[in-house]
Amino acid sequence: MSLSTERLSSRPATSPAPGFASLMLSPARRRSLRQGLLALVLPAVVIAVWQMAGTDGSLFGGVLPTPDRAWQAWKVWAFGSTGLSLNPYSGTWLANLVFSAERVGKGFAAAILVAVPVGLAIGWNRIASGALDPTVQLLRPIPITAWLPFSIAVFGIKDLGAVFLIALGAFYPIVVNTAQGARDVERNLIRAAMMMGAGRWTVLRRVVFPASLPSIFTGLRIGLGIAWTAVIVAEMVAVKSGLGYVLWDAYYVGRMDVVIADMASIGLLGLVSDRVILLIERWALTWRRLQSFQS
Amino acid sequence: MATITFENVAKIYSGQNEVRALDGISLTINEGEFVALLGPSGCGKSTLLNLLAGFEKATEGTLLFDGETVTRPGPDRGVVFQEAALFPWLNVWQNVIFGPQVQGVARADYEPRARDLLKLVGLEAFAGALPVQLSGGMRQRVGIARVLAMSPRALLMDEPFGALDAQTRLSMQQLLLDVWQSLGTTVLFVTHDIDEAILLSDRICVMTARPGRIMRTIPIALPRPRSIASLTSPEFMAYKAGIMSDMKV
Ligand SMILES: Nc1ncnc2c1ncn2[C@@H]1O[C@H](COP(=O)(O)OP(=O)(O)OP(=O)(O)O)[C@@H](O)[C@H]1O
Ligand SMILES: [Mg+2]
Repeated sequence: MSLSTERLSSRPATSPAPGFASLMLSPARRRSLRQGLLALVLPAVVIAVWQMAGTDGSLFGGVLPTPDRAWQAWKVWAFGSTGLSLNPYSGTWLANLVFSAERVGKGFAAAILVAVPVGLAIGWNRIASGALDPTVQLLRPIPITAWLPFSIAVFGIKDLGAVFLIALGAFYPIVVNTAQGARDVERNLIRAAMMMGAGRWTVLRRVVFPASLPSIFTGLRIGLGIAWTAVIVAEMVAVKSGLGYVLWDAYYVGRMDVVIADMASIGLLGLVSDRVILLIERWALTWRRLQSFQS
Repeated sequence: MATITFENVAKIYSGQNEVRALDGISLTINEGEFVALLGPSGCGKSTLLNLLAGFEKATEGTLLFDGETVTRPGPDRGVVFQEAALFPWLNVWQNVIFGPQVQGVARADYEPRARDLLKLVGLEAFAGALPVQLSGGMRQRVGIARVLAMSPRALLMDEPFGALDAQTRLSMQQLLLDVWQSLGTTVLFVTHDIDEAILLSDRICVMTARPGRIMRTIPIALPRPRSIASLTSPEFMAYKAGIMSDMKV
């Protein structure tokens, strides 16, 4: 009964080349391997120079620890026993990381839930644009750091304040990019949909939204970067847990090795979360990838 | 099938410099008739078609489709665009069923028809392909299939084969002739290709530019059913010579 699109698109299986040939990497694999190695050169050089410039595990008269000391500090921070250790950070890495990631997750999700519909409305509907866009543009220049006192005053030293800052910071790039995407939808696609009997709501859902997805993802990636900035700022000031809190606390008690380990953790987490978005984007926008010059 | 009536229709694009794109257009297209709009670039062919499609509003005059004033686009008038305008995120199958789907037609009703149409345009093996993976001619065939899937009362085609190479264009013209011969739908076909206009249509409206007017209407009495073999007949050549002298080319 149903015309199976899967069946039609599946290709006859090509038998894999056996034995000797499988030992050799395909040109594409080799190229990506080379790219990976190339990417590691600069960080390796910087770490090596940094390491060699230090004496007795530190640089600049004890201000900056060498990478191996930071590594040691991270191991204790990550795997040390919690309990009655003299080191207050011992074994708390994962817990703090989860605190921060959870706040980013909540704030970012809230930002998406509000910014995508608002952005689509601004880009698609003239009345919504007139009613909402000026306010967004008016508030946008206020940096999230300037919202800190407001946030603490309203929400107190609580999770909600941090989540608020993160959501606010991520909101702007998502809303602006979504609106731009919705404005740029090809006129003939909208005409085609209306010609086929689609009402305004259907056009929005089935044409404007998918056509805006590339811009939406651009906004998501920028927004996520801002979300990580916001969580660190908020935790340094407005809550008592998370990577940002540890960062400031460690600095305060002169544990620069923990500070460095913390910075590296934040960077890594930001990188991983960005890759996750990128993966979702590649999956959702196959049509787009096939259109691009590179493929 | 449907009757189309333009009564003294004018279209003015307002803006910094006003453009009188169409002026005093009066034209009746009978049920089941195939009419070609022929004219140089910028003479208002697309504008005329867009008015009928409901994409634009006439500045003056009345425009009737089956006796009703045209106010908005709708599935009774299937539009085939020059660049196909398929949804790039939907595959061929999803593009073809888009119309019936958004109109709430039952799946059991539109699926067999859509499958037949894909076969008719020779794309049943590409149901799962994305538009970007198709050639220009294949995309145009999807554009035709998705419009036919709605069983429109009229087909409005705006230079649908204009971007194709000569050989592909010939096969598309043959396909359209076959489809039209079996369906008998009213067609308004925009082109600037004289051969194409003569080959396909019952009547050619030759337009002039600035302001866009219908200069002449030429009935084409070539026998039906036609095929691309008609392109070389003496009668065809006679029509062509007449139109070329009309258009002063
Ligand atoms: N949206 C618009 N705003 C202002 N002027 C327009 C608009 N669309 C078309 N025009 C003008 O109206 C006139 C007719 O345009 P139209 O697109 O109908 O021509 P056409 O016959 O389809 O040309 P072509 O064969 O190149 O497609 C042109 O002078 C064009 O500049
Ligand atoms: Mg045109």
